[in-house]
Amino acid sequence: MCGSPLLRSSFPRAILHIDGDAFFASCEQARDPALKGKPVITGLERGIAASMSYEAKARGVTRAMPLFEIRRLCPDAIILPSDYETYSLLSKRFYDVVRRWTPDVEEYGVDECFADLTGLRRLHHASYAQIAARIQGTLTEELGSTFSIGLAPTKVLAKMGSKWKKPHGLTVIPGRRIHEYLRDLPVEKIWGIGPQITAFLAKQQVTTALQMAKIPLEWVFEHTTKPFQEIWQELNGVSVMPLATEPKMTQASIQKFKTFTPPSVDRAFVFAQLSRNIENACIKARRYHMAARDIVFILRTQEFRHTVVELRLSRPTAIPGPIIAAAEHAFPYLYRQGTRYRATGVTFAGMVTDDSAQPDLFGASVAIEQIRKVYESTDALDALYGKHSVYVATSHLAQTHAQHEGERGHLAARKTDLLRGETHRQRLAVPMLMGRELADCQA
Amino acid sequence: MIAEHVGVGKPDGLSTLTGVQVYTYTGGMNPVSAAERLTDFFRSRHRMPTWREMMRLFRYRSPNAVTKLIARLEQADVIRRDRDGHLVLVNPFSHARVLGIVEAGFPSPAEEELADTMSLDEWLISNKEATFMLKVRGESMRDAGIMPGDMVLVERGATAHDGDIIIAEVDNAWTMKYLRHRNGRVVLEPANPRFRPIVPSEELNVTAVVKAVIRKY
Repeated sequence: MCGSPLLRSSFPRAILHIDGDAFFASCEQARDPALKGKPVITGLERGIAASMSYEAKARGVTRAMPLFEIRRLCPDAIILPSDYETYSLLSKRFYDVVRRWTPDVEEYGVDECFADLTGLRRLHHASYAQIAARIQGTLTEELGSTFSIGLAPTKVLAKMGSKWKKPHGLTVIPGRRIHEYLRDLPVEKIWGIGPQITAFLAKQQVTTALQMAKIPLEWVFEHTTKPFQEIWQELNGVSVMPLATEPKMTQASIQKFKTFTPPSVDRAFVFAQLSRNIENACIKARRYHMAARDIVFILRTQEFRHTVVELRLSRPTAIPGPIIAAAEHAFPYLYRQGTRYRATGVTFAGMVTDDSAQPDLFGASVAIEQIRKVYESTDALDALYGKHSVYVATSHLAQTHAQHEGERGHLAARKTDLLRGETHRQRLAVPMLMGRELADCQA
Repeated sequence: MIAEHVGVGKPDGLSTLTGVQVYTYTGGMNPVSAAERLTDFFRSRHRMPTWREMMRLFRYRSPNAVTKLIARLEQADVIRRDRDGHLVLVNPFSHARVLGIVEAGFPSPAEEELADTMSLDEWLISNKEATFMLKVRGESMRDAGIMPGDMVLVERGATAHDGDIIIAEVDNAWTMKYLRHRNGRVVLEPANPRFRPIVPSEELNVTAVVKAVIRKY
């Protein structure tokens, strides 16, 4: 029974999942040949491994491992500060390269995307597997880092495929061979299946992906929820999860959450952190021309306990002033004297488009219109001089202190090695090849 | 992108409607950007949007507003209806057609002239995704006009021809040299008599081809 295919046709749809191999570390290796083949770790500024090269993984370095442990485990490790600016530039290029083959690309994460190739074989004069191989080849050639690809009839199976063989793997799972890949795969390895469902399935004697795929339809629809039903269908080769290909025009909610080291008991400093998060969330809301009605403030203690205050504004806004004022009211409920805090955050919800924000009864609209003009100007200044060129005074302590201990000493090399005309706030949007230049042999 | 003063010829029986009025009437969505959004949608999806999608596209809250805007665009000959009454773009492959809307408003010939120009970025960079920059340190390419401190734009994965200035990986470091084929061997040649050519002992790894040199004073 295990030998019979779940699906008769090969690719009723052809979905790719493309996943960067140790993306951040790989970006670093791609721009400096001295790092190739070496254990490279990013995350120096935060004291833990954010990403590690395959050479470092082979030495036992894992994600979020503290640096002192890494140095003990792997004394020759090269530990670099994260350069998110460069990683983001390369991430955007990654999507754009994939878009040369198909317009249907879902930007799923900084180092992964889904792409739909259905119906494009004739256009490219190639099989789906050949198109996938060409995309992979071009990515490696032009970006300099490697990617692993899964090709399958559904997103869930494609995601499984990209993990099947790493790094630089290309795993093709045609419909008629799905069952071979599911046979020995534990259910918890399936995208979207968490510990709760795993435990629930175990009670039905279902532990492998193939067993899960073979649960009868009637049972699935009677005893499970819609997300599970979708995963179950996708496992069976029936594509039901659409690709979210449209660039986001609106935001359902906006969250800004930031950790700082060392943890702080200082009320003013913690508030400044919260204030800056509010400013950041407002900047993002204004970029989408949205305003928020519901605001959630969060403080996280050193022991990972959270205090949360939710409130609703009388009038939706994307201006920090009223929200910071609200935060001042909420702060006594959030903050306890003597407690060490390690992070603050804010979530905006109840988003409305900004032009529909109604004038309120008390005639504050005129004043608000004036403040809106102020923020149009600060946004223009930010565009010219970089983010936070002007900021609210309550954020001052957060703006003038390093977010992480020792950060000032651990700037990414790209931020210190500037070109003429670049500033510490703004640099050219082109990734730079770094590292040593060959000491030339003089004649 | 296109000048703000855009009008649409004779909508709703008005004989002299200026762009400014059109602006207020359509509630912030001017016909030019509406046409551009429609064209963009059509290009990415290979079909016209539904009424509901147009509400999102134009950020309208009522379908009626869409109907009014569509009537306007029909009049401006940006879209028309096919035999079955479905909307089609008159010219789906170009934004240039949109300039035709400038009729009753303030025609702006300069804009049309500028349509055939390119930005410095476009001129310097042909394959955007593959282009990286490198800050020059050594003097080995001095006679090619490449000085220390200059910025070079290089294209990864481009095919290197004899005589190209290339970036190669030698001894775990970058080096920039002329690529020369001499008697079937590859030689990396400096543009400075004080430096010796490099003859790679093993296979040469050409990473990128230099496409431009930039010096900002």
